[in-house]
Amino acid sequence: MKSKLTYQKAYNELAKLVEEIEDETMQLDTLAEKIKQANELIKYCEKKLRSIENETNELKGE
Amino acid sequence: MTNPQKLSELINEIDATMRMAFAGKTFWIKAEITDVKKQPDKRWCFLKFIEKNGNIITAEMKAVFWANTYSAIENFETNTQQIFASGLEITCCVRVRFHKRYGLDLEVLDIDYAYAIGKLELERKQTLEKLVRENPSIQLLSSGNYSTINNRTQLPLVIQNIALITAPNSDGQRDFYTVIEKNKYGYAFSITPFLTTIQGDNSSRLILQQLQLIQSSKQQFDLVAIVRGGGSDIDFKSFNDYNLAQAIALFPVPIFTGIGHDRNTSISDLMARQHKTPTEVATYILDNNMNFEQDLESLRDRFFDVVDDLIESAKSNLVHYKQRIKNLSPQTILQKGFAIVMQNNKIITNPEDIELNSEIQTLLRKQIIHSTVTKKTNDEK
Repeated sequence: MKSKLTYQKAYNELAKLVEEIEDETMQLDTLAEKIKQANELIKYCEKKLRSIENETNELKGE
Repeated sequence: MTNPQKLSELINEIDATMRMAFAGKTFWIKAEITDVKKQPDKRWCFLKFIEKNGNIITAEMKAVFWANTYSAIENFETNTQQIFASGLEITCCVRVRFHKRYGLDLEVLDIDYAYAIGKLELERKQTLEKLVRENPSIQLLSSGNYSTINNRTQLPLVIQNIALITAPNSDGQRDFYTVIEKNKYGYAFSITPFLTTIQGDNSSRLILQQLQLIQSSKQQFDLVAIVRGGGSDIDFKSFNDYNLAQAIALFPVPIFTGIGHDRNTSISDLMARQHKTPTEVATYILDNNMNFEQDLESLRDRFFDVVDDLIESAKSNLVHYKQRIKNLSPQTILQKGFAIVMQNNKIITNPEDIELNSEIQTLLRKQIIHSTVTKKTNDEK
């Protein structure tokens, strides 16, 4: 699967996205991609906060 | 051997001698206590006083607390926050008694708590000094707190995988689980219990073993919680143990202690992150995760505020450009009464290009005027 995302990584990436988008030289044509990334990071954290199953399944699978 | 005495005659004589020597007298003695047998229902306590030279017992005598002085034990426990149990050295006031059947013993009349407290404080001070002296990573701060590898280790953003050291079926365990499992945010946790006796003589060694188990476990833990609850205000001894405190100070995973005490801070507490009760440990964990979620939400809000702004400003730019383009369009110009001059289907911008007697077309709002050039003059404006 995708490389191991952690809360710390997700948070840092989201913070980076916010900085990028707050930068005035932001290109509009990359906006859709950035929105998609931000949504995925937030969804990841929100889901992980409320379900421990993923973790244990991953452990079992290893 | 003539006329042997009856046993009772000899004992009477001993009794009389003892009375003569000790009747009405009390003595303050300092001794270690052992074989302590408390009978709280009857409010009696049997024990032995001993004195040692190295490991050899050099003096020993039975002793007893009766109901009228049993409260001295309870006061001792409340004031010194340690259980009145074998191994303690105490200072107490005694009376020498001789019973014709049960023999010689000491009746304890009072205990000097100040002595016990002073001794405990000295031990505590010595342990703390030794920790700092022998472990360079443990530092005494000017605030009186201690900085250790353990309490310097940064807490993870989210605490979800918890190793819980507690006594089986204890109030502490129950309180901790209740708060964690009934959290209103719906956060999920994985709690792995490491159960052991957490009170009494051996417990510091047993807790230490559990820490070693956690460290060698394959599972990755975000946090270790050591909790003890349910009113027991005494017996802090195990948490002041040098080896346990040292292990906690050096432990790589952050440790929260919640060993149920308001008034006192054990040495183990000082080496870790102290919370007062199991409930407070659990509440802190929930708050920690909630703070993360709030930070996440504020980042999300910031992000989408900017997105909204960007889209909004792009939209208004578009409207602006549309207007400018419209203003510049030939149609708009013609509406305003200007004309466009053309020749051979080309717009003429340079009047030099137009020759006398040639045909030109003049575009007005709705019609094209065809004409022949008869004269060219310079505009004198």
